[in-house]
Amino acid sequence: MSDSSEDLSLLETLDHLLDRGVVISGEAVISIGDVDLLYLGLNVVLANVDAIIRTGRQ
Amino acid sequence: MKLVVIGAHLHRHDVEPVAEPVAAGDLWLSGVAVDDDQPLGDRDLVLRVARTRAALLDRATFIAIRYGLTVRDDAASKVAPFLVRWRQLLEEHRDAVEMTLKAAVAAPRPRPDRREFSSGAGYLRALHASGAEVDPLFREAVEARIPCIRRRWIARDNASVEMAALVKRDDVAAVMEAGAALKRDFPDVPFLLSGPWPLEVFADDHQ
Repeated sequence: MSDSSEDLSLLETLDHLLDRGVVISGEAVISIGDVDLLYLGLNVVLANVDAIIRTGRQ
Repeated sequence: MKLVVIGAHLHRHDVEPVAEPVAAGDLWLSGVAVDDDQPLGDRDLVLRVARTRAALLDRATFIAIRYGLTVRDDAASKVAPFLVRWRQLLEEHRDAVEMTLKAAVAAPRPRPDRREFSSGAGYLRALHASGAEVDPLFREAVEARIPCIRRRWIARDNASVEMAALVKRDDVAAVMEAGAALKRDFPDVPFLLSGPWPLEVFADDHQ
């Protein structure tokens, strides 16, 4: 398998893990390195953390 | 110590020894144990859960629970409202898995501008109407060639559509072959066929 198809497979796997299935409850901040990139709140909203913080301040 | 919940299963042996089994009524939840202070966003944890999820599906079909649910000794109470329906789904689809086909559309529709709407409902309706549609010939071919028990087309955004298919485990190879044939016959339609996955879209039928 090539690197690109491995990346695609990983992305697809993460998409299913984070965005599919029965929603119960919970929240998580997805980080890469020390940077919080994504926020999952109520398992419905998937948005950039900066955008949410900006919205919250308005 | 807490458990990151992965799915709901019919039998304890569907879970062990791949993951930690947790009783929930007459069903079982699968979980990955993590320290109380470990953030759920930890990259290694996410990947560990993803690998465990795949290994669990190798053993038996289960209902996927979206990443983010953690339990300690409160598992049964958190999922109690779902148990009757889950048992029914697990028994009905024991020999089935999900497959997903995501296709990009040639001409994405413009996304509505929310500033042009006076009501949220109007905006949501316009957003829904702006959902992408795939080439009808491709869609027809997909429906004719991919063997499945049930299918559902989902417009996820204005540039792509997705078909989730409930497929017999014995038909997974045939679905992948059908995907390869579609690639040959529709070289101009970018799409990704993936799976098998646990019950995700079809586990939400009751919601």
